Amino acid sequence: MGYLVAAYAVLWAISFGLVFSMVLRQRKIQAELQTLRAMIEDEPRSERK
Amino acid sequence: MKRKNDTWLMALTALSAVLVLLALYLALAGAPEANLQSETGRYAQRIIYFHIATAWVGFLAFFVTFVGGVGYLRSQKRGWDIVALSSAEIGTVFMLGVLVSGSIWAKPAWGVWWVWDERLTISLIQFLVYVGYLMLRASVDDPVRRARFAAVYGIVAFISVPINFVAIRLWRSQHPLMFGSEGGGLGPGMMFAFFFCLIAFTIWYVTLMAHRIRLERLRDDAEHLKQRIMG
Repeated sequence: MGYLVAAYAVLWAISFGLVFSMVLRQRKIQAELQTLRAMIEDEPRSERK
Repeated sequence: MKRKNDTWLMALTALSAVLVLLALYLALAGAPEANLQSETGRYAQRIIYFHIATAWVGFLAFFVTFVGGVGYLRSQKRGWDIVALSSAEIGTVFMLGVLVSGSIWAKPAWGVWWVWDERLTISLIQFLVYVGYLMLRASVDDPVRRARFAAVYGIVAFISVPINFVAIRLWRSQHPLMFGSEGGGLGPGMMFAFFFCLIAFTIWYVTLMAHRIRLERLRDDAEHLKQRIMG
């Protein structure tokens, strides 16, 4: 029984690890995109000044 | 259009989560017990449902990496490179799952965690080959050269998949043969659970691919914006 639990626990941990790393990377890129878009929107205003 | 894609992706994610949970139920409780003497052996037998499904996804993912590599070399389109990269990353993670779950199954079945058997050794080499693929990508800065090198590497690395598949038949490996000329290693009641796990994991792979491709597209968007700001 212990081996069965261990095998499934490891498989779930690996799957969650992959999903978690993808979520983290996606959040990081979305934050970066927001910053970059804000910089582009601000650019014409600063040029007008 | 973007919102429609997001809805589609959420629906696919929900579907694959339900299917994987159902597969888990079948593997742990729904499938009939194996006709084995020891209780440990009967429990360990239930590992194979997810072990084989994980291996199937690994092989499928490496095949898609191969197709992505060929597609990129023919068209030079970034889309193919994204498909190859996404699939290689998912396949490598699943191969790690295969190695670990196989090793845990081996302990009660064979009495040892690991043997340098042909199938096991080839699987380990295959995993390392695809870790090498990801390392190669990380080490080349120029995106066009990176995509070209990775495409060639992904095509060559795919040789490990058929070799791994036929290893048991070629070298009479210690690893059990599930489907061969002497019949399958599963009873009829187990077959349903087995194929259900394969289908559930295939849909799970498609879902992961959709998310991973989306991530890479976002990364490309960020890169374009950076270039625009830099002028």
